[in-house]
Amino acid sequence: MSNRSSVALGLAVFALAAALPLLSGILPAIAGPYPMSLARSVFTYMALAVTWDMLLRSGQVSFGIAGFYGIGMYGSAIAMLRFGLPPLLSILAAGCFAAAIALLFGFIILRLRAIYFSIVTLAMAEIFRIILHNGGDFTGGAEGLILPNLISNGDSSLYWLALGGVALAVGASSWFERSKMRFALTAIRNNELQAKSSGIGIFKYMLIAFVVTSFIQGMIGGIQIQSYGVASPDDSFSANYTLLPLAMALLGGVHSTIGPVVGALLLGVVSEVLKLKLPYGHLVVYGIIIVLVILFMPKGLYGFWVKAAKDRRSAAEARREAPHA
Amino acid sequence: MVVKRAVMYWLAFGLVVGVALLMWKPMVLVYGIQSAGLYAAVAIPMALVLGIVHIVNLSHGEFMMVAAYATYFGARWLKIDPYVALVPVALVMSIFGFIVYRLTIRRALKSPELNQLILTFGLGIALSQTVNLIFTSQSWKMYLDYVSASATIGEYDFGIYDFVFVAAAILLALGLRLFLTRTRMGKAALAVGQNPRGAAIVGIDVDRTYAFVFALSVGLVGALGAMFLTKQAIFPGVGGPYTMKSFCLVAVAGVGNITGILWASLALGLAEALMNSFRDLRDWSSIIFFIIIFATILVRSIKERKA
Repeated sequence: MSNRSSVALGLAVFALAAALPLLSGILPAIAGPYPMSLARSVFTYMALAVTWDMLLRSGQVSFGIAGFYGIGMYGSAIAMLRFGLPPLLSILAAGCFAAAIALLFGFIILRLRAIYFSIVTLAMAEIFRIILHNGGDFTGGAEGLILPNLISNGDSSLYWLALGGVALAVGASSWFERSKMRFALTAIRNNELQAKSSGIGIFKYMLIAFVVTSFIQGMIGGIQIQSYGVASPDDSFSANYTLLPLAMALLGGVHSTIGPVVGALLLGVVSEVLKLKLPYGHLVVYGIIIVLVILFMPKGLYGFWVKAAKDRRSAAEARREAPHA
Repeated sequence: MVVKRAVMYWLAFGLVVGVALLMWKPMVLVYGIQSAGLYAAVAIPMALVLGIVHIVNLSHGEFMMVAAYATYFGARWLKIDPYVALVPVALVMSIFGFIVYRLTIRRALKSPELNQLILTFGLGIALSQTVNLIFTSQSWKMYLDYVSASATIGEYDFGIYDFVFVAAAILLALGLRLFLTRTRMGKAALAVGQNPRGAAIVGIDVDRTYAFVFALSVGLVGALGAMFLTKQAIFPGVGGPYTMKSFCLVAVAGVGNITGILWASLALGLAEALMNSFRDLRDWSSIIFFIIIFATILVRSIKERKA
């Protein structure tokens, strides 16, 4: 791809992302049921991708997204079935439940770094799954829980909920980007020892990041169960919910809000199409995308586009200065 | 002397536990040792790559799964026993491992550790989903007579076939030790593992050593895939748990400690078998693994921080 066309393409994609709020606002008025459900699925993965990236900014790779998402699904179902909460409150309860668990586990696992952190988050998701699987009648065992009364089936309210979830994730992420969190997390990622010696309370910031992202992931799970209606150990903790957001954020470009949003937009649509075409193994595309991005474009599309734009600008400047020289 | 005393304590503790189990629940001892054999045998090749190439291969179990599929269809097509297919499968897998190394791992050797982690995670997904794409999620199983071989001691009647995995684990541990200390290639690999730059200075081809070690590891886990098939049903996701278990055993034992893997597997196998022997606890036996991981990784990281 030539430099000029790559910049143009990048502009188009990011302009689309910028127009997203407007577009998603008018979508229910113009789209049929299939595009609406497609948009819901894209929003779900987008929110998970953005929250995964928020923690990644501290340099820690979590493989436990599915864990908190599944906790959220169960949390919402249990709040509705066992405590009689209305659906909207149950979503909030799901988020709080996930955040409480993150707080509890965070005190232990946030002391771990690099590979140890990653593996323990993977193990943590498994522990959640096994506990809920063996929880007897309270958690519904292997069959899971079925919600009898959902938020109006097929109505656009599910769409607005999913949009609200993604707005929350994007809002939190840009708060992270604009506040002290950004400097703290970047400092931890670049050189933890230096960050510590310049007086950054590393543990505090990591705990905030971990609890906030888990809260959002739990809420997304709570929102999603309102359209699925079922929480089961195998589906709620499916590795897809870890894998897809990870691939989306990587492709779009990590350490930014716009990157995961663009990645989710591209891969989310691709995923739905592939799912129809290939019932088995459509996830192979994600594995290959992860490998290719890590090898050839570690900063993702966003990083690639930023670099291309910068190159173009400096080339233009060089041209302008050349006649004077 | 301090180290020696600690070893003595552990030996005494192990002996007490062993004798107690023998008196109380001898079957736990048998099944525990058998499953420990499989865990250790799969974990050792991963430890090899981690110790020398310094890559955590999160697609380790998936390579075993691919080998098991290759064995299944190869053996069915040629109407041969999986054990006859073992050597050719191991060879093909090591060539496959070499290609994967050249195309992917080699390019990421200088990347940050987390990128390498995500890379091998992606490789694992690509492998298991390719198999899913071709063979669907259906499970396949070979039915062989000899796997139901059993023995009777006193009033106890138990299967003895799974001891082949114990034999494989011990063979692997001994073989690797001989390879690393007695052969030219092995000594070179050990040197590269300790200090790649120093090894390069004295004239060792580091890249070739990495490629060889990675291919060897994939070949070994491929051979285990053929053995795995004789006993278990295979499906695309069958390798995943073994990746995680292997990593955990390696982490528990500490990098470069192959005997440690044998002990860690034994502890894990016995703990699981003990849980399985109680009807009420059986459903929870899979959690013990994760609790052990959690605990040991925490203890280890706290120890490392103090050091």
